[in-house]
This record gives sequence, structure tokens and C-alpha cells, in this order.
Amino acid sequence: MAQVQDGTDVTVSLQVNGRHEVHTVPARTLLVHHLRNTLGLTGTHVGCDTTQCGACTVELDGTAVKSCTVLAAQADGSSVRTIEAVSRGEDGRDGGLDHVQQAFWDQHGLQCGFCTPGMVMAVRQLLRDNPRPTEDEVRRGIDGNLCRCTGYQNIVAAALAAADAEAAM
Amino acid sequence: MYPAEFAYVRPDGLDAVFTAVDEYADDAKVIAGGQSLLPLMKLRLATPAMLIDLAGAGELSGQHRTPSGVRLGAMTTYRELQHSPHTLGLLPGLGETVAVIADTQVRARGTIGGAVAHGDPTADLPAMLLALEAQVHIGSRRGHRRVALDGFITGVFSTGLADGEIVTALEIPLPPAGTGAAYEKVEQPASHLALAGVAAVLTVEAGTVRRARVAMTGVTTTPRRLTAVERALVGSTTSDVALSEAAALAVDGVVPLDDVHASPQYRLHLLEVATRQALQVAARRAGARWAA
Repeated sequence: MAQVQDGTDVTVSLQVNGRHEVHTVPARTLLVHHLRNTLGLTGTHVGCDTTQCGACTVELDGTAVKSCTVLAAQADGSSVRTIEAVSRGEDGRDGGLDHVQQAFWDQHGLQCGFCTPGMVMAVRQLLRDNPRPTEDEVRRGIDGNLCRCTGYQNIVAAALAAADAEAAM
Repeated sequence: MYPAEFAYVRPDGLDAVFTAVDEYADDAKVIAGGQSLLPLMKLRLATPAMLIDLAGAGELSGQHRTPSGVRLGAMTTYRELQHSPHTLGLLPGLGETVAVIADTQVRARGTIGGAVAHGDPTADLPAMLLALEAQVHIGSRRGHRRVALDGFITGVFSTGLADGEIVTALEIPLPPAGTGAAYEKVEQPASHLALAGVAAVLTVEAGTVRRARVAMTGVTTTPRRLTAVERALVGSTTSDVALSEAAALAVDGVVPLDDVHASPQYRLHLLEVATRQALQVAARRAGARWAA
């Protein structure tokens, strides 16, 4: 974990979606820009850029965070999972939609789709913390994510359907 | 948005942190979870030349029982606290306060040390920590000291930390038997920051308030105790009338913030309402504990 560098560049070593990625970037590089611009993983979106909308949500060491408010340098030594890999199995193969994504599809949980990658990551976190949430708990659980299209109703329905699907597995 | 350029270090261990903080002094900021500092840096409201990441100092993590209370490392995240039933069971009010800070993702990164060291006038946690009579552990190359949180936050984004010092831990004494706590806030809906938040910690014995600690956030330039309310409560009953009379004293001498989110008059109104609600809930919980 020790990292002491005096310049304004840092070398960032990450496991991203199972791949080892080592890049030297300016220290001020935000994790979301590192993912999108350095690694080309543009599924993670920049929405408000002010820690409010959640479009940039990724899993950092298994926990959902807003990647516009984490420095790539802070993530050095960690593993990151982005929307590109949520449906990927242990073997790295793409398994189609995962059950949360499938629930968004089935319940029409998106319109323009801009917030969806972050919403999916937030719902995954919610279900890890609370596998059988009530509707109220879903609404509280995703209050770090904004959607300007759906009025949230179908997103909440998707989260509840995903919980049902998980329980049936 | 990009922060201005800076150099970044993640020293290995607390001594190395102290050395770095001492060496870079005014040019440096320490970063814990970064959930407050990074937004300020992106807006260029903070432009440190050097960022010293505390993540390499394992000494700043962990929760320990002390003879009289619980010591929480400064790097303890809100999320960790939410998943610490033992600590939350010992310290009434802490769990429900942490649960309403920002959102799930922010709570995964934001730290309790940062909540105190940042000195944000609208932060939730300092109000409850004031009501729980928390102590701040402070460390530097020169040694360690411990001060009461009451008085530590001196103004908007200002604290009693001297050059070279960082917050290393918070220590919270265990409240006496028969104590109930509550945190009530009215929040700005997008940021979840408090327009008025009130923490109440009441010790009740056979329907009479024996001890009261009440503190607010979001209303003035710093979170602070409502001592007039506390004085009125001690010796009074927990009737709705008595609690409402005490809550009415919350606004005494308060000079409220005035911004786009709420006028001074509205903030004062919210302050009284939140105080009354917090007192009622805390008294009920204290009574329930006493009955048990």
C-alpha cells in the first residue's frame, strides 16, 4: 500500500473487471476519468460531477462508490468493477444480462438510459446489504442516484423484481 | 471538473503521516475519504499543492472499548459504523445519525474524522457527537492531545487543529443507564445537508429528566450545543408541554445562516420544530430503556 511520489504524476495499479491495469497519470485524475479516458470503459457515466447523481457509481473493492469523487491515486492497489463486467462470470465470459439488468429490462426501469449504469450498481449494492428490501428501503437505498426520466417508479419495481429473482435462485 | 494540479503521497504508517504533514505544512491538505474535500478541490475552492492520503496509516482505523467508552479511529467510515452493531448498541443515537448522512455511496467513503476535521456547518455527525460529549484525539510529530469536541469546531471549515496536527480518533463515553437519543433533521433534498438538524441525548429517571445534552447543526456557522434547552430540561418532566417549552428556547440568541436554501426565519422555525421532535423521541426512548 505504501506509495510516496513527489511529482504530480502517480502510478496507479488497479484490478479492473479482473484485468491488471498499471498506468501513470496526473495525481488529480479522478477515478471516473481514469476508467473512461485511460481505460476506455465508457459505460460509467459522468452526470452531475458533484457527488449527487450517482451516474458514475462503480464497485471499489466490492462496495459502491461515486467514482467522480475518488482519485485514481486513492484507488491504487484496489479492485474495481464497472457496468461492463456485471454480467461476466468468474471465467471472464459474458453471460448476457445479470438479474438486476434483466429486471430493469423487464420492468421498463429506464428511458434514456443515462443513469442506468449507476442505478444498476446502486441496486446491486442495495441487494448485497439487504436482500429482501421493502419498497421504502429501495427508495432510501437508491437515494444517491438521480433519474430524470422515469419518476423512479419502474426503477423501484426493477429493484424489487431483482430481489425476487435473487431469492428464487 | 478537474482539481488543480497537486502532488500526492500516501505515507506508510502514522509516523510517516506526521512527518509529511509537518514537512509540507501550509501547502498540504490531508485526505481521508475525500467526500467533502474533493468536491471543494474540483470547484477550486481548495487548491492544495500536496495531498497527503491517510489511507496508509492503519493506526487510524479500528474501534476499541476504553475504560469509560469507545474509541473510534478517525478513518472509520460511516458505512463501517453502520455495520458495527456492537458499537451502535453502546452509543444511542449514533446509528440513526449516520444512516441519514448523504447517501449509500458517500457513506462508503466518508469518515468520522473527516466529519469533525472539515468543520462543515451543516454536517450531521458533529451534532450527535456533541450531544454524546465526544472527545477528539489529536496527533502530530510533537505528540498527542485530547480535547472536548465542544469548542473544537471554531467556525465555517475551521477547527482548533494547529499546524502539523491531524484528528486521529474520536472517543465517546458510554451514557448512563436510562439514556435515550434521537437525531431529527430537515434536509436540503439534493445534497441531503441539514437545513436544521438536532441531536438530543436525555437521561430520564422515573419521568424526570436528570441529564440533557442537545446540539444542533445546519443553522449557524458551526454545529453547537443548545445549552438553554439543556438547562430547562434538567429536573423537568417529559410531558409534551415541558419538552415544547424547552424546545422553544432553542432559537434564543441564534444568528442563523442565510442562503439560497433557507431564509433565517425559516431556519429558526425548523430549528424549533426539529428540537421539539428530537426531544420527544429521545424522551420516549429513554423512558422505554428505563422501563426495561
